[in-house]
Amino acid sequence: MNLNHDLFRGLSRRHFLRASASATLSALVAREPRLLGADKPMLAPKADSMILLWMAGGMAQTETFDPKRYTPYSTGLDSKEVLSTFPAVPTVLDGVQLSKGLEGIGKVLDRGTLLRSHRVGDLGFILHSRHQYHWHTGYAPPQSVAAPHMGAMISRTLGPRNPDIPAFIDIGQNLEIGGESDAVKAFHTAGFLGGEHGPFLIADPRDAAASTQPSEYLGRSRFLARYDTYRKLVAASPVGEHGSDYQKESLARSFEKAHRLLNSPAAKAFDLSLEPEKSFARYNTGRFGLGCLLARRLVEAGARFIEVTTEYIPFRYWDTHENGHTRADDMKKSVDGPIAQLILDLEERGLLDRTLVVLASEFGRDMMVEGKPGATVKEQVKQPDVMTEPKHYGMHRHFTEACSVLLFGGGVKRGQVYGRTAEERPCSITENPVSIEDLHATIYTLLGIHPDTAYETEKRPFYVTRDGKGKAVPGLIA
Amino acid sequence: MALALYLLPLPVCAQTIDFVSAIHPLLAKRCIGCHGGDNPQGGLSLTSRILMLKGGATGPAAVPGRSAESLMIKRITGKSGQLMPLGSPKLSEHEVKALSDWIDQDAPWTDVQAKVSISWNAPLEPRRPAVPKSEYENPIDRFLDVYNRERHLAFSEPVGDGLFARRAYLDIWGVVPSSAQVLAFVQDSNSGKRTQLIDNLLNNPELYSGNWISFWNDLLRNDQGVNYAGTRKSITPWLQSALTKNVSYDRMVTELINPVKLEDPDGFLLGVNWRGAVNASQTPFMQASQNTAQVFLGVNLKCASCHDSFINRYKLKQSYGMAALFSDESKLELVRCDVKTGKFTGPEFLFSQIGAIPENASPAERRAAAAKLFTSPENGRLARTMVNRIWGRLFDYGLVEPVDEMDNQPWNADLLDWLAADFADHGYDLKRLIRQVMTSRAYQLPSLPGQDDKGKEYMFRGPRPRRLTAEQFTDTISALTGEWRVLQTDQSASFVREWQVKSTPLSRALGRPIRDQVFTTRNPEATTLQALELMNGETLGALLRRGSLHLLGRLPVPPAPLYDSKTISKGSKNLDVDLTGVNKLWFLITDVNSYDPARTFAGWADIKLTGAKVTKKLSDLVSIVKVEQRPMTAQTKAFDRALVPGIPSTLVYDISGFGFTRMQGSVAMDEASVRSDVSPAVRFFVFASEPDRHQLVAVTGRPPIPEIRPVADPNTLINNLFNQALCRPPTTKEMQIARDTLMPGGEISAAGLEDVLWSLLMHPELQYIY
Repeated sequence: MNLNHDLFRGLSRRHFLRASASATLSALVAREPRLLGADKPMLAPKADSMILLWMAGGMAQTETFDPKRYTPYSTGLDSKEVLSTFPAVPTVLDGVQLSKGLEGIGKVLDRGTLLRSHRVGDLGFILHSRHQYHWHTGYAPPQSVAAPHMGAMISRTLGPRNPDIPAFIDIGQNLEIGGESDAVKAFHTAGFLGGEHGPFLIADPRDAAASTQPSEYLGRSRFLARYDTYRKLVAASPVGEHGSDYQKESLARSFEKAHRLLNSPAAKAFDLSLEPEKSFARYNTGRFGLGCLLARRLVEAGARFIEVTTEYIPFRYWDTHENGHTRADDMKKSVDGPIAQLILDLEERGLLDRTLVVLASEFGRDMMVEGKPGATVKEQVKQPDVMTEPKHYGMHRHFTEACSVLLFGGGVKRGQVYGRTAEERPCSITENPVSIEDLHATIYTLLGIHPDTAYETEKRPFYVTRDGKGKAVPGLIA
Repeated sequence: MALALYLLPLPVCAQTIDFVSAIHPLLAKRCIGCHGGDNPQGGLSLTSRILMLKGGATGPAAVPGRSAESLMIKRITGKSGQLMPLGSPKLSEHEVKALSDWIDQDAPWTDVQAKVSISWNAPLEPRRPAVPKSEYENPIDRFLDVYNRERHLAFSEPVGDGLFARRAYLDIWGVVPSSAQVLAFVQDSNSGKRTQLIDNLLNNPELYSGNWISFWNDLLRNDQGVNYAGTRKSITPWLQSALTKNVSYDRMVTELINPVKLEDPDGFLLGVNWRGAVNASQTPFMQASQNTAQVFLGVNLKCASCHDSFINRYKLKQSYGMAALFSDESKLELVRCDVKTGKFTGPEFLFSQIGAIPENASPAERRAAAAKLFTSPENGRLARTMVNRIWGRLFDYGLVEPVDEMDNQPWNADLLDWLAADFADHGYDLKRLIRQVMTSRAYQLPSLPGQDDKGKEYMFRGPRPRRLTAEQFTDTISALTGEWRVLQTDQSASFVREWQVKSTPLSRALGRPIRDQVFTTRNPEATTLQALELMNGETLGALLRRGSLHLLGRLPVPPAPLYDSKTISKGSKNLDVDLTGVNKLWFLITDVNSYDPARTFAGWADIKLTGAKVTKKLSDLVSIVKVEQRPMTAQTKAFDRALVPGIPSTLVYDISGFGFTRMQGSVAMDEASVRSDVSPAVRFFVFASEPDRHQLVAVTGRPPIPEIRPVADPNTLINNLFNQALCRPPTTKEMQIARDTLMPGGEISAAGLEDVLWSLLMHPELQYIY
């Protein structure tokens, strides 16, 4: 047979090594966008890791971190009378109250800043996934280039802390959710930064161990044997004997990295069964709670950026419309204990100072206002004027004019409330509004990344905060 | 500078200073104002390395490798002479460090000016250069023969037959050939067999379109089953038909730009839109402006959609002029960076010299006029752009790069222009163009490993290895194993290729894009996440498990259902099944396309099993999993007891010994689920034996590639796999390695075959078209 074996020939191995020694990163990661302004000095980072606690679905600030006048339920209640459906409870900070059900977080509030004046984008007719895209990338879709997720930007800029732990880990979101699946997928990517910086997705933290070790079906010994067969075949290939080249090297390198991760001692961090029973129980409120536990274990092992999300499924979890009161109650039960425990655990391990923990949501909620006050945004749910059944109590619409954010650890000012909203409807921001770009600029600054850091795509700069315009908020930084 | 670079995950040379991004801007901003021009201060010019080293009145400005001895550093730190820059603030500490490090690294210099080529003015009109005389037949080779001679190069020998066949099958059909096809081709002694093969492959419309449709889907932002909050309109049927019939490219463009008939692809102009208000630069018409310019003309109007572009010659007004070709209003107000300017523009084609559009034309008239301008014989750009895309796809490097910047200078303008004119002159025939390229000697040259081309002039030596696309990779697994995915509708079930199903974690990891953007190249990068998916992912794992059993003929024949409800979105349907001889029952509910399966309440309602001796309600029998029972209302029908096990679900009952002969009742959709935010759609099945979840109903029609017959002899099996996957037989050593894995206990094991398949699939020879 006339089969040509000599086709991976070209640069010899030695030639390749010499070539790469004089090249920069771009030679090793082909087509990866270039960092612009590399001449700028890096900021001194105050945090090495970040955990983003994402309250997907639009967390009602009046039922959580920004409680207003409480009105108990009674049939026949005038809807517009109601601001909060829970009483407020005191916290460790004098004069600062949270909604009932957040007592755990109330006790650790002195470790961080409660930001009550976060203003998200005004994007018209509300679409959750679009606001989520906006918050996670800093850019409202559609965009003319694929915008990277914040975790990808951080991964690309700072790289992994521990080479065996992916730099960007995303816990809790199943991407196949029906309705807005494709829109949710659109921001769970590294966009133009390229796949190396994309999220390592763990839909359910209970499956994390399985995703970082050979599948149960294969088993470790067969997994290793199979990898061995692959390597022997590559080595025995008559094509392979003729030297080396870029593609083969990069392919082999990617397998080596994955193989290393699947066999690394660091992979133990993913295994929740190794957590002591007592500690496990403190987090075990379900997927989100265990996600917080996993995040803590991963930060200990050297993770860079982790997002833990309450899952987004249209009309579920924080996407509270009908039965808003009981739904908010359930959600608080699932997030309060684990978040408080996460802060305490990080502190106990001496990690809180270098770990930035941020809790945020795509927008807030209000019973009567859709979008922002006075806006003519199309309403998606109707609140009856008078409540005739409990399901109307705490019914929520989407409110973009104010929402609450928590920031803990890594360089964040401790023990303060920042910003203020009106006590009566519309509960808009009255003091110190913080936009998405400024909040992001604060986050990036704490991580040591200039808010105007940019990567080149299609010959133009793409900044980590929108058009490089984000300004860190001094009042949030210690 | 150095500080910032430390933060990059650089494995080597972490502190390498990049002249272009770090030093040149600094020199330009702080030094060249005085130390440049015709009469530089102190006789020192910092406009080139030579001049810097030559220095001025006080000597050379820098001593490469020795920053401490360099006058420049002494002056900017104030260690000797006048502190520089004279009369302006001191350089910062990191700027000084950057310059020192750069000098210590030998002060490398890149000619910054040369990068910005202003000498090339891309022609618009078609050009028909004479085909040079040469010993080669294909005009492409004749042009490249001249190119080679000018560089004292010559064509290498073409690749062998096996490798050629592999390239041809993957490039036209998107799958590897079968072992028999490779052998037949290699053994064919006909001298024209390569051209013959290309013709045969192109003459199969289904397999050709099944491969190339992904190229078009990327360009046209189309995806199967993906709808973006309900606002994306599929153009799949049109596209598939256009490719199958090899509709001419100018007609395709005409129909995309001016969809008039019901079956025309209006989804392209509509684009991908999200609910809510949109930034001025991203309105549907601005998207149409950007997309038509990028895809058909190779022009990036994205920057110029907000402001006059900094990176090319296009202006804000031109972007809006293009948008006005497609907008409802005939005049659009220019919005600069989201601020209204008060200036308006009417419809204007990007290359206005080709023709104008009447200002008061109706939207339909404007679109029709636009289609004429895009496809005008004077618009050479249309053909050049597509010819370049096809060339780029087949060689991994376009005649112009990047392929979306057709204003850039081609590395062989004559070849590009001739190919483009030839394409247009022959009716924009896409298959003919592909044939033209693939029959060339150039295409058949050995591939050269790709390199980092930054800063180096491209030199054509042959194609570069190309990574298999996600679609080619998954389809190749199916071709190797005979195991295809099944697309199931109420009418039928058929075996399909990757592009016909929604993307999976595997195909996304391998680069199947989320098409909210236009994609004109795939990222070939091998990433860790991708490797994790390949090594340990469930999608590939399942494909290989079934594939291995399939290839060995050990996959059980899927049972036919006793009952199939077809899709149910509301109401109920009667169920009446003969249970004679049935001992066990499987009740499946599968999701068809519910918006919110979690809130879809569908159930088995009032189901009764009867026999000669006994009658029982299904709800009284014990299933292996616990299941919720509740009353249910489906439209007007009320049911007492419905089993609502969730979506998807399987209930299993052992009914042996009861002697049931008949089962009656209903399947029902609870009225509470029938609302727009749930949009339920499910399908119920009953089976009498373990169902095959991949094939719930009988598949009609053939698989895309003919079935492979199971092989019992291990050596033949391995030989076939190598021939097919790599288009060459295994060496003795490879045969031994594969045998050891295939037959761990001396006999062929399905697990062993899985492992051989996996190892071959990860092999660089398989992962690349090389």
